[in-house]
Amino acid sequence: MSADDESFHPLGHEAAYEEAKKNAGGFAEMLKSLGGDGEDSRRGVMKKMGAGAAVGIGAWGTTQGGDEPSVSAAEAGGSETTEQGDTQWGMTIDLERCDGCLSCVKACAQENNLDQGVNWMYVLQYEDGGPDSSRNRLVRPCQHCTDAPCEKVCPTTARHTRDKDGLVLTDYDVCIGCRYCQVACPYGVNYFQWDEPDISTEQIEEAHSDTEGHMMTDERGRWVDSRAPRGVMSKCTMCPSRQDGFSGEEKVGTSACEEMCPPDAIQFGDMKRETSDPQRYIDNPARGRALVEMNSSLPSTSGLEENLSGAGSDLESVLEASEDLDEELLTVMKAAEIVTENFGEDDADSVQYEEAILEVFDVLASHGLDLGSQEVLVELELASEPDEDEEFEGADEEAAQEALVDYSGSPSSNFKLLEDIGTNPNVVYFGNEPGPTAHQTETPVAYSDMEADRADGGSIQLVDNRKDVLDEGTVGDFGVSL
Amino acid sequence: MSTKTPSEEDILRPINTFTKKYVALYAVSALALGAFLVAWAYQLQQGLIVTGLGDWGSGGGSTWGLYIGAFIWWVGIAHGGIILSAAVRLLGMDRYLPVARLAEMLTLAGLSAAGFYILVHMGRPDRMVTSVLGHFHITVNNSPLVWDVTVITAYFVMTATYLGLTLRYDVHRLRDQLPDYLEPVYKIMTIGYTEKEDEVIEQMVWWLALAVIIMAPLLLHGGVIPWLFSVLPAMPAWTGAVQGPQFLTIALTSAISGVILIAYAFRRAYDWEHIFTDDIFRGLLLWLGFFCLLFLWLQVQQVVNGSFLGPTNKSVATDAKIGHPVYLFSMGLVSATLAYIFAQAIRPSLFSKPRAIVAGLAVLTGTFLEKLLFVVEGFLHPTFDIYAATPGEYFPSIIEWLSLVGTIGMVVLFFLSLSKMVPVVELHAIEHLNEDHAHEDTTAATEQEVKA
Repeated sequence: MSADDESFHPLGHEAAYEEAKKNAGGFAEMLKSLGGDGEDSRRGVMKKMGAGAAVGIGAWGTTQGGDEPSVSAAEAGGSETTEQGDTQWGMTIDLERCDGCLSCVKACAQENNLDQGVNWMYVLQYEDGGPDSSRNRLVRPCQHCTDAPCEKVCPTTARHTRDKDGLVLTDYDVCIGCRYCQVACPYGVNYFQWDEPDISTEQIEEAHSDTEGHMMTDERGRWVDSRAPRGVMSKCTMCPSRQDGFSGEEKVGTSACEEMCPPDAIQFGDMKRETSDPQRYIDNPARGRALVEMNSSLPSTSGLEENLSGAGSDLESVLEASEDLDEELLTVMKAAEIVTENFGEDDADSVQYEEAILEVFDVLASHGLDLGSQEVLVELELASEPDEDEEFEGADEEAAQEALVDYSGSPSSNFKLLEDIGTNPNVVYFGNEPGPTAHQTETPVAYSDMEADRADGGSIQLVDNRKDVLDEGTVGDFGVSL
Repeated sequence: MSTKTPSEEDILRPINTFTKKYVALYAVSALALGAFLVAWAYQLQQGLIVTGLGDWGSGGGSTWGLYIGAFIWWVGIAHGGIILSAAVRLLGMDRYLPVARLAEMLTLAGLSAAGFYILVHMGRPDRMVTSVLGHFHITVNNSPLVWDVTVITAYFVMTATYLGLTLRYDVHRLRDQLPDYLEPVYKIMTIGYTEKEDEVIEQMVWWLALAVIIMAPLLLHGGVIPWLFSVLPAMPAWTGAVQGPQFLTIALTSAISGVILIAYAFRRAYDWEHIFTDDIFRGLLLWLGFFCLLFLWLQVQQVVNGSFLGPTNKSVATDAKIGHPVYLFSMGLVSATLAYIFAQAIRPSLFSKPRAIVAGLAVLTGTFLEKLLFVVEGFLHPTFDIYAATPGEYFPSIIEWLSLVGTIGMVVLFFLSLSKMVPVVELHAIEHLNEDHAHEDTTAATEQEVKA
């Protein structure tokens, strides 16, 4: 190789790199201009919105943005969204708090008008070879994977990740019903609409006539929410109509299942924000649990005020006088405050628990009890007594954390389902991870014991195994299996 | 038999005859296809709920079933057909030249059946154009299903080009003996034909054949079709690199079997003993045996690797496979065929054409059942098999079985119709056979021995 050749190469590489960059831009631009969905979506918008033309036009305006995930996917040569938004909706699910009541399954069926057996949310009890399987439960919504295999295999881009908030959704107007997404999903969260759904779009529209998008069309004007029409795929959506604010501002950052969970085992929120419910739960699950658990035991402020009138203001007198406040509870309340930055601030759902605690603290403070004082903290074992020549160091975070763990327990582990497959799920579980031989047993509450109300005014019994329903439509059911 | 000299008249016989048997076979095939079309119309009206399919997971079903199994089977037959024909042209295996065009036609017929299955399988077939083509530039980067449709289309075009080019030579020379009512068709087929193009066409066909052979393992049944399954990590019954070669062996065994059956049918119907000679059947049977051996070899690789020692998901799936009666039956069919082919190779007197037919049918049945089970068992034994409803249940509904009958009818109709329009044996093959006859009168004695 000559000297000329050597000097030529680096230049060549650089030039090629520049050229590639230019082309990449050009290619992306070309793709954007091709944006195949415009016409379809617009028609969909008009259809869904009916007379709400202004809304329709607004949605049309954002449709261009709706194409972006596909475009960036093409650019990256993978299905990952490269231009991610600032939000990634996701969940933590505390399996040790789940009591298997199926409220979430029912809530989801109601919210989305699902057919029998279409359990977008599914709860199961399982045995895993251990001596005690009473706490072995799994709550299984769609994992809304960051690297969703269902999206990667989709031949149409119907299955896509919404750019602004990372939700993995199905565009019901684009899906061709090949079912490859269901084939590729490792978790089995997809439910195909094999026949005409029970509840018509008109019925859903009527039931949500005041709601923008009628709980079907999202803010981009794409039909991605509620039960699927015939011949296309459906799965848990994590409630895009709520996240778009169509159900009211207070429902943003909530999901139907989370809302209806009696033990508050599900924390829904933005996985990218440190102060969101799921992230707070991940940071300190004992704190999260304690907040939920003590919430039902908190004394009412009026009752407490009544109890305290005339009582002394030292800790002992206060505890003696109040009916619903004992030392343990007060310790945990204070412990929660000690371990939390910005206690009672921010807009996570769990902040309401913190506010309730602060209200109680206010009553105690106005009664004259200083919860931050050395005397009280030491008494509650949330600080250690300083030696004579030492200064008081204030509350001891470690002791506070211990108090929380003592009160609510700490989960045995946290995990993401089948993490080694590389899907990067956005659901984080607390509790036991089912092993490779784990197998489902009966839930404490049977699916058939649950009824879900739907938009037609009627209600249905939930069905565990959908095949029982589908078999009725099979032409020539031989009653045997391969 | 072999003393007869093949003539132009011979290869034109299907076009210029019209028998009751032909009408009867046509009617039966049309009825089979018609019955399925009615069933499909019902499916379009009711939805895919008329099938035995369901959702894997909590839903206790199988997402894909006979439609996809049969789709793979037909694609396999088609791909094997074109590989066979390409090999004949590329490697100069003139012995098989008489069946080369049948193999090409089988490719077109098989691809048509497979393409039809894609539509039948869809929840919304009406959106194929808008949803699939409209996003092709994006999805082709990721989706194995899009690769699949792309390659199938490419091969349909290649095979049709291939067949179209070689037919020009024949149609031009035989034009006077072809029926006049098809004049417009022949005119279009031979548009701009001059004898000077023959040499160019021959080269083009050679290059096309080379492309087919190179792309066979990379893209055809050794590539995109197995990748539909083998690249998915969470279904241990599917995943793994062996599926590529495994699928290719299935394609080749199925296609050779198909060619044996079709060639035999033509030979019987049109007295073509001197064209589709025993020698061709014996040769095809040997190739069938060779590919059956490869097929079984790769099955053994899978089963041994899956059942020796974990991981749990793989061993559960493998145990279920080797204990499944359908699997054992299909392996038994292929093994028995292999044993027979091996035996008749050692002792030529064991060869007979009816036995060759049975071998072909056995292999086609075996590969169909193996493919059907393969598709379903992925859903029955996924890595995440925690659900009580998994393994689910699946058995094809009447409508799904009818699709198999219907597509077989469709392929038969394809041959019946095409054989009335153009010669199914190349003129080149006849010319070649006649050359051989001039040279090989002395070898006639050996052929007599072979006669069953």
